[in-house]
Amino acid sequence: MSVVEAGQGAVYDRGYRPYDGPRGRRGAATLALYKASMRRALGIRRSWRQKVAPFVLLGIVTIPAIVNVGIGYVTRNRFLTERIEIITYHDYVGVSAALLLFVALVAPDVVCPDRRQHVLPLMFARPITGVDYVLAKLGAIATIVFAFSFLPQVVLYVGNMLVSDSALDYFTGHLDVVWKVPLAVALLSIYYAVVGVAISSLTERRIVAGASVIGLFLVTSIAAGIFVGDFHEKGGSAAALINVLAMPLYLRDLVFFGHIGPRSPLSGVNNGGLFAIIAYAAVLLTGIAVLLRRYRWVER
Amino acid sequence: MESGSLLRLDGLTKRYPGTIALDDLTIDVPRGRIGLVGANGAGKTTTFRLLLGLAHPTEGHIEVCGLDVERDPIGVRARLGYMPEHDCLPLDQTAADVVSTFGELSGLPARAARQRASDILDLVGLDEARFRSIGEFSTGMRQRTKLAQAIVSDPELVLLDEPTSGLDPAGRDDMLALVARLGTFGISVLMATHLLDDVQKVCDYVVMIDGGRLVVAGATESLLERTGTVTVDVGPSGPDLVAALGAMHLRAVAADGHVEVEVDGDEGLDLLRDLIARLELPLYRLSTRVTSLDEVFLNRSEDVS
Amino acid sequence: MSAALDPDGAIVHDPAFAPDATVTVSNVSVWFRQKVALSELSCSFGPGVTGLLGPNGAGKTTLMRAITGLIDVNQGHVRIENSDPRRDRKVFRRLALVPEDEAVPGGLTARQFVRYVADLHGVVDRNAPDDALESVAMLDVADRNVDAFSKGMRQRTKVAAALVCDPHVLVLDEPLNGADPVQRLKLIALFQQLGAEGRTVIVSSHILNEVERLAPRVIVLINGRLAAAGGHHAIRDAMDDRPRHVLVRSDDGRRLASALVVLDSVGGVTFDPGRDGVVIETVRARELATALPRLARDASIRLLEVRALDDSLESLFRELIR
Repeated sequence: MSVVEAGQGAVYDRGYRPYDGPRGRRGAATLALYKASMRRALGIRRSWRQKVAPFVLLGIVTIPAIVNVGIGYVTRNRFLTERIEIITYHDYVGVSAALLLFVALVAPDVVCPDRRQHVLPLMFARPITGVDYVLAKLGAIATIVFAFSFLPQVVLYVGNMLVSDSALDYFTGHLDVVWKVPLAVALLSIYYAVVGVAISSLTERRIVAGASVIGLFLVTSIAAGIFVGDFHEKGGSAAALINVLAMPLYLRDLVFFGHIGPRSPLSGVNNGGLFAIIAYAAVLLTGIAVLLRRYRWVER
Repeated sequence: MESGSLLRLDGLTKRYPGTIALDDLTIDVPRGRIGLVGANGAGKTTTFRLLLGLAHPTEGHIEVCGLDVERDPIGVRARLGYMPEHDCLPLDQTAADVVSTFGELSGLPARAARQRASDILDLVGLDEARFRSIGEFSTGMRQRTKLAQAIVSDPELVLLDEPTSGLDPAGRDDMLALVARLGTFGISVLMATHLLDDVQKVCDYVVMIDGGRLVVAGATESLLERTGTVTVDVGPSGPDLVAALGAMHLRAVAADGHVEVEVDGDEGLDLLRDLIARLELPLYRLSTRVTSLDEVFLNRSEDVS
Repeated sequence: MSAALDPDGAIVHDPAFAPDATVTVSNVSVWFRQKVALSELSCSFGPGVTGLLGPNGAGKTTLMRAITGLIDVNQGHVRIENSDPRRDRKVFRRLALVPEDEAVPGGLTARQFVRYVADLHGVVDRNAPDDALESVAMLDVADRNVDAFSKGMRQRTKVAAALVCDPHVLVLDEPLNGADPVQRLKLIALFQQLGAEGRTVIVSSHILNEVERLAPRVIVLINGRLAAAGGHHAIRDAMDDRPRHVLVRSDDGRRLASALVVLDSVGGVTFDPGRDGVVIETVRARELATALPRLARDASIRLLEVRALDDSLESLFRELIR
């Protein structure tokens, strides 16, 4: 039996404790920057006001999926020759105003404040390089855009599966969707991430960046529309490739159909698919070049 | 603390079109608290960039904590912390969040980063304020947060750029006390400052650069020369003391309210003491005149130019 | 008000007021919504250099702006040679403020900036900008863009801009900020020169040992109120109810301490291993100083250093803040 001794006491040293634990290098630091950037974009660890916009937009983007599933549910017991689908997976990999606003909101937010508040020197002094910084930021935006574009698709798919006659049949009957959708959404996300972040890197002010992103998309899509003219009558034109906003849609068609869709402004153009791929790559490369220039770590 | 020199520069030269920022610097600096003082465009920022591997030397060679900066800049940056002079903190995040995130950016796992951030913020005196947004902080608090993010990864060397800038005298004392303590944590300090007073208070070793050229590099103690002159303040009776010293054939001169005496060794000190006691004069001050770092800098930079 | 008669009938000046004042601050209060920046402050400044000290947020910047007519006072008044700097354009022309923040319009060279300010003040002399730049050692970089300057160089450019209008009253907020050791000395010499020329120079700085060198008279503000005024030794003497601390280094501190402890004038003795000596607390400094050499001699203790720890402006400041 132990006896409690009142006579013993000790004071513990709360002095400095050196760190002996594991230290990551470039990879760990880049990953940390990637995660921190995503947290920033989604307003995590910040006030509630910062969270409102992204999640409201997510909600808006998911509405068509919910409506579609809703209709399917309501009509499930009626015998119909054809299922009413207000939106297909293909079409859902699309460009909505909500998505555009989202990119214009989120991309400047992860990049402009670092520059404006002069935080970049603190980053430069870390064990990362300019390339790592760019990759982390692109990764963060691409991941978020992917998630926000993919989630509605999942809702649509699962919803459809549940309201169909047999979930398993639905699954086996729509196997191709399972790889086409993620691929198309990924191509779209990477594209918008690069364009959004590259433009944002050109300025310190978030509002200017956001407006520029929206401006670029709108202006090029209007211009393309003017040049292409009425493609329903005449068929498509290569000028459709000027439309920076809609570029990923051509690749989406390639993923889903293997060729440019019949109702696309590019349809009927010889080697349209090939041109689309080249144009897509060109935009990506330009964006990345801009970013590498803007975040040149080491002076020559 | 590990052994080995902290910093080795070998013929380091950095030229820009039109100016030479650093000219043929060769020094070998030991671990500890180092003061870096520069004049006439001596390129403080350039020096830090070169040390962090963010700029290439035009000529010469840099080794930091035993690593060649040209060959392994990432490795060097992993061991360094940096506290810039300008505002550089995100204002809409809390101190705890910022310091912890920067800990992760230095390679620490998330949990360790959070814990270190908490420890360090306590150490720099921001314990209560750490869940407040940096936008609300005073200058002193921001400087301390900047210091915190620089040491959160337990670096071997931390680069401080004018750490007392913008602080009032009380804040300056606090910051200098913190910097002095870093040495006891096993963290070496390279403090770039224009205030020689700060260097004299806190640094064991001084490097002075003027116009890109090395003026002097050495232990602070060794630079402060003791002269053979003793300064004595006996109040208004100074002239009486001078006269009495003269009668004993000791050279003394009255100047500016005090008396300067040429003293011959320790026995001379005793003689002086006895004389003052005999004359029943009040001894307000007795000190061996020591050059200040200001004077060292001026004297030596005149030599160089 | 600034003078009174002491018990012997001699005229005594209140150190808060300079005898030949050019700048008079009378019962001035300034508030910004809830925050009271200056609270019924009365003091004055005359020719020569006066230091303006205080912790951050004490109201120094507000006072400087009130003096140079940049802001209005809510109560009381400020007079420059009997004119109101807010309303009298003539007096405004001879006032110059060098603020601490970086406000210099972009895209100008140093010379252009100084010339612009000269024109604003109606300076006729075409050489004035170059002369001003030369006095701050910025003439050789006069054609470089101010944006590319270091902090110290920008500060010196602003001083030149202030000097170009040949001001009677020059108010400087942290003018040595960012200046390297060589430039600091030159600027200190410049300000001393300006003071010697009879201008009223008011310098605010946190680097107290430089203020000590530069300004024979200081005004200390704490929380918007006057905390102390005058020469810093005189201020220290005025605090005679607070004990002084004298550091004594010797070859036998303990024995010395035991000899000193019996003295009435000694209030306390502390051993200070960091400074390798003994710190004696006393309120009767002269008595202690007279007893010290005698005791040391009688006990055969060698005195290596004797130094009052509170003699500097820094220690005075610390005392005032407490």
